[in-house]
Parts: sequence; structure tokens; C-alpha cells
Amino acid sequence: RYLGQPEIGDKNRYALVRNCVDIATSDNLTDFLVEMGFRLDHEFVAKGHVFRKGIMKIVVYKIFRILMPGNTESIEPLSLSYLVELNVVAPAGQDIVSDDMKNFAEQLKPLVHLEKIDPKRLM
Amino acid sequence: GQTGKLMYVMHNSEYPLSCFALFENGPCLIADANFDILMVKLKGFFQNAKANKIESRGTRYQYCDFLVKVGTVTMGPSARGISVEVEYCPCVIANDCWNLLMEFMQSFMGNHTPGIPSVFGTKHDSVYSPADTMVQYMELFNKIRKQQQVPVAGIR
Repeated sequence: RYLGQPEIGDKNRYALVRNCVDIATSDNLTDFLVEMGFRLDHEFVAKGHVFRKGIMKIVVYKIFRILMPGNTESIEPLSLSYLVELNVVAPAGQDIVSDDMKNFAEQLKPLVHLEKIDPKRLM
Repeated sequence: GQTGKLMYVMHNSEYPLSCFALFENGPCLIADANFDILMVKLKGFFQNAKANKIESRGTRYQYCDFLVKVGTVTMGPSARGISVEVEYCPCVIANDCWNLLMEFMQSFMGNHTPGIPSVFGTKHDSVYSPADTMVQYMELFNKIRKQQQVPVAGIR
């Protein structure tokens, strides 16, 4: 999956919107990406649960750091808490989805407070 | 300061839902049609090579277990040659049917019958994949690109 930069005009939306291209490939993708000039930035293991509500996907997972590159068996948790992520893949221009997401997010309070994140601030 | 590498993006009507991306002497990626969309998004990172688009278009013949595809190779508006693709469908191990293929090709190509394709190299016993076909077309197209265009002399 390719995820682009956050869309402009994003400030008023409740959710982060990014361009997304999903491509099925043969299993030599990592070799191919390196040949294209890409370099591995980081890898991680996510363990948890996936829930669905219509086109909304809610993922509750714990992130694990990989101790030996490429070895998904030797891992250690990054923190004790779980990360909750709500995402939707929708056709381009369907901004109305972010309203549905906001409504759903309201229902999860006070158990979880879902916020829009700014990826640039995390870089 | 790395010298430019060429990446070829190819399509084959035999596999209409796929897109092939390959590097010379490098890996060949088989992806779905969304790969073309990805390339549009990434076009800022690549320079479109001056080499023009090249294609082979023609007729597909089925003769018992053989598939023969004869096409005219064109680069832009000009025709540059003829391509002949021969496939023996029941067999997926190149080594096991090369002799049969050669015999079949000799029956209609005579002296033009090629030697065993270099794509097999040392791995004669591995299973054939559509990527192997695309590598051969890439090599053929490159050979045609390098050929000098012979001007046709007009006779009055």
C-alpha cells in the first residue's frame, strides 16, 4: 500500500485524509523496491484485533520492535499500551466519510479518545 | 551520484490484469493494474527515459498444444521488425521441452530458429513464469532499439 502526503484543505476535516494505492504484487517486492532506490526505514510487528463497521475498520494493536532485522519471532513490545486506529478506504472526494468517523469516535468516549494526528509533527 | 538505472514497465495482453516492472539483470515484479497508478504518483522521482514506447502487435495462433504469436514491432509510427513468440503450453520446466520447441520452430522458421533463451541461464529446471516471457521481450525490444534504422532508398 502506498500512502501519500496529507491532502491540502485538511484542517477542517475531522480525520486525516491521504491518497492511497493498494497494489497486489509478486513476493519479490522488497528486492524490487531496493532496486528502485527505496531504502528500508523501519519495520515492526503489530499484534491485535481488527473490527469492522460497514466500511470503517477499527484496529486495536500493540506494536513490537524487531530485535533482529527480518526476524519476526524475536520481538519486544514497544510499550504496554494498545494503539487504537480507525480508518476507512473510500473513493476519492468522499469527504463525508470523516463525519461518520467523527460520530463513531464520539461513541467510544470515554474509553478511547480518538484524535486526528499530524504525521509531519512525528517525523 | 548513482548512474541512472532503467526500469521497464510492460504489459502483455495474455495477462490483461497484470503489469510487469523489470530491471535489466534485476528482479521482475508482477503487479496488478494499480502499479501504473503508483508510477504516476511517483513520477517526480523518475526521469522518463528518452527511449520511446515500443510494442508488438499481431495475431495469436493456437496449434494443438502450441501457442504462436506473430507481431509487428513498432516504435512510434515506424515498424522496426517482426517478433515471433512460441510457447509449448503443457510444460512448465524449460529444460524438459526445449528440444520439442526447437523442432517445432524449425518446421516453420528454418534458419531463424533461435538458441535457448538466456533467461534460463543455469536454472534449466525451475518452473517457467510469465516474468520469463517479459524478460525475453525486453531483451528483444532493446536489441531492436539499438538497431540502426535502414533508410529506404527511393528509385526513380
